[in-house]
Amino acid sequence: MVKVKASELRKKDQDQLKKQVEDLKNELSTLKVAKVAGGAPAKLAKIKVVRKSIATALTVIHEKKLEKVRLDSKGKKYQPLDVRGKRTRAIRRRLTKKQENKLVLRVLKRKQNFPQRRFAVAK
Amino acid sequence: MAGKPKPDAKKTSKVLKKGLHQRKHKKWTTVRFRRPETKVLSRKPKYARTSVAGKTRLDKFSTFLQPLATEKALKIIETFNTLVFLVDPHADKKQIKKYAEQLYNIKVTKVNTLIRPDGKKKAFIKISPEYEGVDIANKIGII
Repeated sequence: MVKVKASELRKKDQDQLKKQVEDLKNELSTLKVAKVAGGAPAKLAKIKVVRKSIATALTVIHEKKLEKVRLDSKGKKYQPLDVRGKRTRAIRRRLTKKQENKLVLRVLKRKQNFPQRRFAVAK
Repeated sequence: MAGKPKPDAKKTSKVLKKGLHQRKHKKWTTVRFRRPETKVLSRKPKYARTSVAGKTRLDKFSTFLQPLATEKALKIIETFNTLVFLVDPHADKKQIKKYAEQLYNIKVTKVNTLIRPDGKKKAFIKISPEYEGVDIANKIGII
């Protein structure tokens, strides 16, 4: 069996995707029964493929659900937490680039008015 | 010519002593002090914590893990018209009954469950006599 591709799944709409997941889950349950009843190795190998296909289908369903939320909250100051991007816990708690590079006004003015000069010797 | 009313001397002296805003001492009539009710604001979140509802963890496919086809289980199918399944430990009898009827197109009279020593849940699903347990087991693929 060929694994379903996410790119193909994304072309479908929510109802089709839900139906696909149901079909795959039905198939999984029959394969599990076959495992118990001593099925052919081809069937047993198929279990992994089906499981992963279900996972990709569910991922695509979730992506599509979030699409609208993303569009609505784009550019807003406060976005829902699952739109913000998970990264890692530590990264989320770090200072932003802007916050890190912020300078006191005095220092900023100094840097602007007296930048580091670079000279070169002309050949 | 109406003159300004003279300020009450007594009042003025009181204000001077105790301050302009005097709080009246409330009389406690009970021995016990109970926290007074204060205003409770309802939540007005600036952003949603989860914007999309997650999927239900126990649906009809995930309740049934696998059917049992041991010697004992097969005997039970034949004699008691009962299917034996390994079931998600979080599933309850009502769920098992409902989903078994949906998935396998049968009518369930009752469900008995037990939790095995290895932590898995075993469900004995008794089918109504209109259906043959052996036929259903064949259809599912157990036998």
